[in-house]
Amino acid sequence: MIKLENVSMRFNLGIERNYSIKEAFISIFDKKRRLKKTDFWALSDVSFEVKKGEVIGLIGSNGAGKSTLLKVVSGVMKPTKGKVTVNGQISPMIELGAGFDIELTARENIYLNGAILGYSKEFIDEKFEDIVEFSELRDFLDAPVKNFSSGMIAKLAFSIATVVDPEILIVDEILSVGDIKFQEKSKNKMMEMIKGGTTVLYVSHSLESIEELCDRVVWLEHGKVVKAGNTKEICKEYYKKQLNK
Amino acid sequence: MTAIKNIMANFKKYKFLMSQLILRDFKIKYKRSVLGVVWSLLYPILMMAVMALVFSNMFRFQVEGVSYLVYLLTGIITFQYFSEASNLAMTSVVNNFTLINKVYIPKYIFPLAKCLFVGINFLLSLIPWFLIIVLTQFGLGNYPASINIYYLILPFIFVCLLLFTVGMGFFLSCVSVFLRDVFYIYGIVLTIWQYFTPIFYSIEIIPAKLQFFFQFNPIYQFLEASRTIVLYGQCPTALNLILCAVYAIIAMAVGCIVFKKNQDKFIYYI
Repeated sequence: MIKLENVSMRFNLGIERNYSIKEAFISIFDKKRRLKKTDFWALSDVSFEVKKGEVIGLIGSNGAGKSTLLKVVSGVMKPTKGKVTVNGQISPMIELGAGFDIELTARENIYLNGAILGYSKEFIDEKFEDIVEFSELRDFLDAPVKNFSSGMIAKLAFSIATVVDPEILIVDEILSVGDIKFQEKSKNKMMEMIKGGTTVLYVSHSLESIEELCDRVVWLEHGKVVKAGNTKEICKEYYKKQLNK
Repeated sequence: MTAIKNIMANFKKYKFLMSQLILRDFKIKYKRSVLGVVWSLLYPILMMAVMALVFSNMFRFQVEGVSYLVYLLTGIITFQYFSEASNLAMTSVVNNFTLINKVYIPKYIFPLAKCLFVGINFLLSLIPWFLIIVLTQFGLGNYPASINIYYLILPFIFVCLLLFTVGMGFFLSCVSVFLRDVFYIYGIVLTIWQYFTPIFYSIEIIPAKLQFFFQFNPIYQFLEASRTIVLYGQCPTALNLILCAVYAIIAMAVGCIVFKKNQDKFIYYI
């Protein structure tokens, strides 16, 4: 379903500073001012395979490369080296509500965001009621999203993102959305999707939810796979390592 | 063949997204304005009125034997389309960075959607444009414009204008990702470009030696072709029409190649 073969991802830290004509001009004359090419490997030589229906958890400290990995899999970034093969339709829930336009109403945003996630018009028409129902925002449907609270925006975004039955679901820490009631509801929805045979890549810092949901775990550190395999064992080891440091 | 098939499949897949992006621009453009979309009709007319007043009354500009109002309006809407669309297209990739960084969307969609959005506005502004042409038949201004069979060539000219603008949009949006200075530089380039395009003056007032160089201004070619039809009731010269197509194809080819080659690198620079 998802196959990563020796995937490496390089960021050039120098390049990502402000780059302008002025800088370029100065650097011609002043060698010291030239942008140093400091390579940073967000991922190096990562290989693993996810089979259909599996739920894989990704753990690791901040900056370990988890989110980069998700971006590579979802096609947002192309790996510098290596190969990513993905079979099946992906629903990325990397960041909820990325495609919202705050000037538009909730109703309009459902269509816009749906389109960004790759849904067809017919599909959104059909599922519109479900989305509204799940988001609990029926009364605010025609209000501009800029007047929404962040919780409301997250609820709406979650409802749009999860209305599909995707073959592959990519989740980056989103279960803690909205109030307690909605958190419970969204967790159930996720469980439902997972049990429905969806392949899931799941990133979270909550080991509790990882242990609960995942079949296998991949532990990343400094862009490398430290360990992969049994959820319980690796989570335990990871927890120990984190606290000792 | 398969490449073309892929492109078509890609278009089809993202057709809905494209229409949503265009719709969003429309909604936001006319939000909280009482006249709303009427502005698309009114704006070119008012611009024309102001410029006609300034140039024909104060500076005594006129173009011998043709309706100055139609001459002016044709220039205004054509250049207005080009400058607005290419400007919006230029900033579109950078402005949609949050999206590009989070969801996979083919990036060409953003500049293309902007060019089409402004294109719809352009089509709307053809309504008052045609209205003025009709009114000149009834004595508006000093000379009547012409309504004739060659109007059928106009869509071809407009498509060339669109393709040229989209190509420029691809190129500019791509370069501006790496070099934000382009935002400012292009603003100045546009101003210069505007003055070197015969929008309110006739090319006849330019010294004969310099007139030749205007041939290299694509916008001039588009303008020349549509003015020949509308003002003189004649078919544009073959050279004129061929040049329209050539400029459109060159811009499109350069834009597409540059964009395609660099689009995977966008994510590191935004």
